[in-house]
Amino acid sequence: MNKILTVCPYCGCGCGLYLHVENGKIVGVSPSRSHPVNRGSLCVKGWNAYEFVAHPDRLKYPMIRHNGELKRSTWNEALTLVAARLDEIKRKHGPDSIGILSSAKCTNEENYLMMKFARAVLGTNNIDHCARLCHSSTVGGLATAFGSGAMTNSISEITDAKVLFVIGSNTTEQHPIIGMHMLEAVDRGATLIVADPRRTKIAEFAHIHLRQKSGTDVALLMGIMNSIVNEGLVDTDFVRRRTENFDTFEEVLRRYSPDVVEGITGVKANDIRRVARIYAMEKRSMLFYAMGITQHITGVDNVRACANLVMLTGHIGLPMSGLNPLRGQNNVQGACDMGGLPNVYSGYQTVTDPRARKKFEMAWRRKLPERPGLTLMDMMEKAYDGSLKAMYIMGENPLISDPDLNHVKEALERLEFLVVQDIFPNETSEYADVILPASSYAEKDGTFTNTERRVQLLRKAIEPIGESKPDWEIICELSNSMGYEMNYRGTYEIMEEIALLTPSYGGILHHRLQEGFGLQWPCHDINHSGTPYLHRKKFARGLGTFITVDFVPPDEPPDSEYPFMLTTGRIYFRYHTATMCRRTAVLEREEPESFVEINPDDAERLGIKNRSMVKVSSRRGEIELKAYVTNRTPEGIVFIPFHFREAAANILTNPATDPAAKIPEYKVCAVRIESLAKPKKVRRIPSVDLEALRIT
Amino acid sequence: MKNELILDKNNLSYWLRQIRKNRELIGPLMNDGNDIVFKSVDRIHELVLDCPASLPSPKEFIFPQYEPMLRMRQASNVKRQEITDLSDETKRVIFGVRSCDISALGLLDKFYLEGHKDPYYAERRRNTLFISIVCNDPAPTCFCIGLGTGPYLEKGFDIQITDLGDRYFVQIGSPEGAKTVKAMSFLFRRPQKTDYEDQYEVFLSSKARFHKRINLKGIRQMILEEKVKDDFWQWVAGRCFECGGCVYDCPLCTCFTVTDREYPYGIERIRLWDACMFKGFTRMAGGVLPNEAMVKRTKRWYYHKLIHYPEKLGGFGCVGCGRCTITCPGKIDMASIATKLKGLAISEEEK
Repeated sequence: MNKILTVCPYCGCGCGLYLHVENGKIVGVSPSRSHPVNRGSLCVKGWNAYEFVAHPDRLKYPMIRHNGELKRSTWNEALTLVAARLDEIKRKHGPDSIGILSSAKCTNEENYLMMKFARAVLGTNNIDHCARLCHSSTVGGLATAFGSGAMTNSISEITDAKVLFVIGSNTTEQHPIIGMHMLEAVDRGATLIVADPRRTKIAEFAHIHLRQKSGTDVALLMGIMNSIVNEGLVDTDFVRRRTENFDTFEEVLRRYSPDVVEGITGVKANDIRRVARIYAMEKRSMLFYAMGITQHITGVDNVRACANLVMLTGHIGLPMSGLNPLRGQNNVQGACDMGGLPNVYSGYQTVTDPRARKKFEMAWRRKLPERPGLTLMDMMEKAYDGSLKAMYIMGENPLISDPDLNHVKEALERLEFLVVQDIFPNETSEYADVILPASSYAEKDGTFTNTERRVQLLRKAIEPIGESKPDWEIICELSNSMGYEMNYRGTYEIMEEIALLTPSYGGILHHRLQEGFGLQWPCHDINHSGTPYLHRKKFARGLGTFITVDFVPPDEPPDSEYPFMLTTGRIYFRYHTATMCRRTAVLEREEPESFVEINPDDAERLGIKNRSMVKVSSRRGEIELKAYVTNRTPEGIVFIPFHFREAAANILTNPATDPAAKIPEYKVCAVRIESLAKPKKVRRIPSVDLEALRIT
Repeated sequence: MKNELILDKNNLSYWLRQIRKNRELIGPLMNDGNDIVFKSVDRIHELVLDCPASLPSPKEFIFPQYEPMLRMRQASNVKRQEITDLSDETKRVIFGVRSCDISALGLLDKFYLEGHKDPYYAERRRNTLFISIVCNDPAPTCFCIGLGTGPYLEKGFDIQITDLGDRYFVQIGSPEGAKTVKAMSFLFRRPQKTDYEDQYEVFLSSKARFHKRINLKGIRQMILEEKVKDDFWQWVAGRCFECGGCVYDCPLCTCFTVTDREYPYGIERIRLWDACMFKGFTRMAGGVLPNEAMVKRTKRWYYHKLIHYPEKLGGFGCVGCGRCTITCPGKIDMASIATKLKGLAISEEEK
């Protein structure tokens, strides 16, 4: 039996784990004891991360649609077809009629190549990935405020913090290992403040739990900042030396006294003052946020408000003191870093900057497009109205993850040509014209970047299953057949190219990642040992900027027709669109069906019993699922996990987006709930003719 | 031949090399300078013998995380299913395991082999030889000393070796172990008086080095006398992350699930590690979850280890290896709970 150190393929914690290999098969998983993130622990998904790899459902050979049916083909046929069709559509309708979705599940090298493929080979900036749906507001919001959009501290610093302020993150369930560090900090005497409408597990450990109304985070944060200013807790030295634009921001801030904020958010003015004092007065204060902040039409404003709060108190640029967006996917940080976004190349070098464009043009020897491309949400919109003709989707499942699924389904149906590259058949691949089978994380080399910017080596444990190939090989071969040479001996050569073109990855090379547990970017050159915390002495952009924000109510507030507020999210035993975890026996068994969490008072009013069937409908569609009556969810709000295809929460969600980041408002939309329980029928046992049953 | 021998350290790798000719040799190795893990040994000189407890426990070699059980195939022209047994018949020797894990094997054997005999476990157990090593320097998480399951054993092992600096004190505890030694008898010599003295000194110094002294008998008594209140178990349950790590890592836990996978070449039935910490573990027909409340599950784990195990199998369901202390994200492992309960008991008395 061999054991190979690699990185967990589930969430952004980036835990180190060993894959146990026997006779070319994966037979188990165990945690790494000395890994700085997980220290010998794993969550249930990590412990079961081995089983889906060899699942019989794996896509084992390429498939092409003939007369409406997907049929097995050879690699040569499939790639030639894809190349020909993409070429044809490009020539007929222009390169911007093609959209590409890269993947936060794939390695940095693969995302880089996909970005290169879109820009150099196809000649379009229409490349995006699921970060659009989770942290695009962070990438945009923090880039303008600080100059860099990532967690500023390291995970291992959490245990030594004194104050942890967690807003809009269900950390113990979605980032369990970060939750573990938080719990340890609390055990060591740290104060934990949680702001979340739901009483999540992390809220059970909180010293103060603020239950603001969904979508009022800007107001809440402004209220806290207002108290900080009023009580003279501002770090004036920090504000004067390291930031700009404070005065204009203060003008607006005056309007948000805690009493005003109480009226908007429903959080007691006194609690707001308490939180302000606790957070501002302790130096080792860490602020964490996740989807509860970003997935709103005010997502960017929420992020800016968080940035303003840390600058106001000077809680940034130090160990155990900073602003920490928790990234969801194993490599969503890396996919953003690699430029899997419509407006930037790798390392967030903008496509509109002529100097950056020139550099990439010289390296890739192709003329590159100048205008930023379409975002994921725009692509779907353009596909719907017919101006986007083809899509190439790598390792993503928009037909579960995007908002307003009925609309997305129609958009994909209208495409002339759809290529899906994945490890399992999924909801999206049912609409594909060509399916390309990719290898899973256990079958390839590469690097993943976790939420604390740690670039870690993924090591190949087994040979690819069936005829599947690693995504980077597929992209290279496709590119070659489209007449642009892409030849690499291995992923380390791709990493070299990334290091050459990307300042923050300048010193990150595979041989440096071999020993130890990776390097944290920015790592500028070969002698740089990585950066555990960001913005020391100076922000990435020079001075930090206070950006004025104002409270805007959610796009679709509840009304008399749709009286409930729906908020969506994840649950512990499931992961995103469930392609991997529903093929894992233990995980599938734990939560086999979807549910809607509803407050007992609401349930009683509507005559809904625990575990009974209900119908939830919004202006966009309806689903039927079981009710789970619980105090976790406050009155007036219901919660549905979005993993289940049988009752996909995203049929209901509102596709309204943040104007800047184009992130949809998953966390708030108006719904109606009806009980489906029928009056109980008494089932009678039919009388049995005993004579007839007698065996003769 | 006597059951106690001396092996010169220089001869160890030769001895292992000879054993490896007939068996797969598994031992603790440093992986890329990061962790020490048990895996197939390629270069014997790289074995790391002063290692802390490995994750997971060596039970993975006799009760693996993923075990194919059988394959069912229905040929088109035959009416009956053709069933192939897939149980593993590889002969293995696991070198460098600790006394606590060997003690755990004793109880695992009782569970899997007495009464209803588990053929898959039996097959692997029969083919696996354990060479255990006495802990000269127990890790801070270890507490086997209070349970009599370490740091050295009097019986129950195949071969037990003690590091005496320049030589190993080898003890043979089973016929299979004796065979392995006898085949290479020229490598060993009879122990002399000084060897016994040195061995005794190692035992003494090892015993003195334990950080934790935990008396599970006292904890069991507290539970039986109903001195542990419900709100304590609620507190424990509140901290559980439902990762299953305690069960997966425990050398004594036996939970598993069985599932079928349909491949083109037939249906494969596999057995996977499972954990009683999950609510679905006891799901009944119709979807009823008798243990939906977390507190029922965490409490059951402790009751099982501290109350039911001693009644059924004659020993605690804990050997003090400290693996749950390492792996538990909520710090509600056996050692922490025992320490906490002891603290509570003392403060009760003071009232």
